[in-house]
Amino acid sequence: MSVPLVPKLLRAHLADLALNDSRLDDRGQWDARDTKLETGILARAEGSAKVTMGDTIVLAGVKFQIMTPYPDRPNQGGLMCSCEVRPIAGRHWEAGPPSPQSIELGRVVDRGIRESGCIDVDELCIIPGEKAWQVILDLHAISDDGNLFDAFALAGIAALRDATIPAERFEIGEDTPLKVSKTPIMCSYHKVGGRFVYDASYREELGGDERIHITLGDDDHVHSLQKGLKGIFTAEEFDEIMEHAKARCAELREIVNG
Amino acid sequence: MGGYGDVQMIDENGLRMDGRKPGDVRPITIETGVVPVADGSCRMIWGTNEVIVAVYGPMEAHPRKIQRQDRAVLDVAYNMAPFSTTDRIRPGFNRRSREISKVTADALESVVLLELYPRSKIRIGIEIVSAEAGTRCVGLTAASVALADAGIPMTDLVVSVASGKINDVVVCDLNKEEDNYGEADLPMGVLPNTGELVFLQMDGDLSPDEFKQAWDYNMDAAMEVHKLMVEALKGGGN
Repeated sequence: MSVPLVPKLLRAHLADLALNDSRLDDRGQWDARDTKLETGILARAEGSAKVTMGDTIVLAGVKFQIMTPYPDRPNQGGLMCSCEVRPIAGRHWEAGPPSPQSIELGRVVDRGIRESGCIDVDELCIIPGEKAWQVILDLHAISDDGNLFDAFALAGIAALRDATIPAERFEIGEDTPLKVSKTPIMCSYHKVGGRFVYDASYREELGGDERIHITLGDDDHVHSLQKGLKGIFTAEEFDEIMEHAKARCAELREIVNG
Repeated sequence: MGGYGDVQMIDENGLRMDGRKPGDVRPITIETGVVPVADGSCRMIWGTNEVIVAVYGPMEAHPRKIQRQDRAVLDVAYNMAPFSTTDRIRPGFNRRSREISKVTADALESVVLLELYPRSKIRIGIEIVSAEAGTRCVGLTAASVALADAGIPMTDLVVSVASGKINDVVVCDLNKEEDNYGEADLPMGVLPNTGELVFLQMDGDLSPDEFKQAWDYNMDAAMEVHKLMVEALKGGGN
């Protein structure tokens, strides 16, 4: 990712907007952009989802592979989450080996899904010590207008819930839906113009400071947190974000669980 | 090429497994303006291939050593998404995607008026999100639509189609099974307004007569697909 010169004018403008409780697109501090979720949209994936949040668009696809269980966990399969932001997604994303930004993206989304325990890895075992399913969740950005984290997390859990284990193709029984017992949801907040806002656009990210990502599971259990970029925040600010996250995660969970 | 197989792919009426006649192409839908943050973009669904192309630029070319004083450079990246095939593909560049990126850039450089934008770069990202067969053709065709959607001056669009041979019958636009068991593959990139070519590959085994037939199928199919491209570009998008 090339480092864009952040115009001081943009930062000043964002600060002005914040003083008037407004944003670049007239949203309120805690308002989301229009969020749309579609599942089962990729012909070759065993589970898939597309999330559109304003001008941000991402795809998630699930594939299965046969793996040899790890020696210390002979009764368990695996879950792998990988993320790629390729040059198609925006002029600030360059080709080449994965950037630290895209690695952070993939790992934070991975932790939220993994730690929620929504996939029971014991259920993925086929023959203990010999054969197990590896679930691979690939996240692919199509258009980056900010907040890829939330878009990826939402598409990721929706794609897993859409997935079918392709046992017939591997000649080990009948196809069965992948069991996904929980619905972890991520909400991300960016400090823009001196205050935290929800669902930042690319220009808000560009002219903003630190960001905080929260993944909440069913019953508001916390599964992953990440603070990114330079900046300082207070316990009071965090409390306020957490209150909003609880309400918003519940709304998004409804959409995923349909 | 899977080589000669015993698999019968053409029935007694001369129809293919998906009901097409030998010269028919698969159903195609084309949409522009699908990547809101890009300068131009195109989604092309061709059979069960799905390709998304985004164009950025002309923009500053860096590092400076890639700049050309008299023209723009095209930066083409063809990539198959990990979930685009039956068996997952490990992310990252490989020799196949590099070669396809290169021949796609070579084809497009022949039509884009590069000399209008000295020292700049035009970036073309081609993402195969669902692959059936003929992804390089769909990628090249969709890229020319996305360039037009971005308003980049070109002498012509590029239409790319492949024909091949199955059970000793020459057929146009091979699908996945036909490609797996096919005996030849001839992808071409045609300029529909002049009938000239900017892209050509071939592998397999074709007699002179079969080669002529495959060539003619490609030319006819290109003209047909061109109509859909023009329709999509005139019909709006962004």
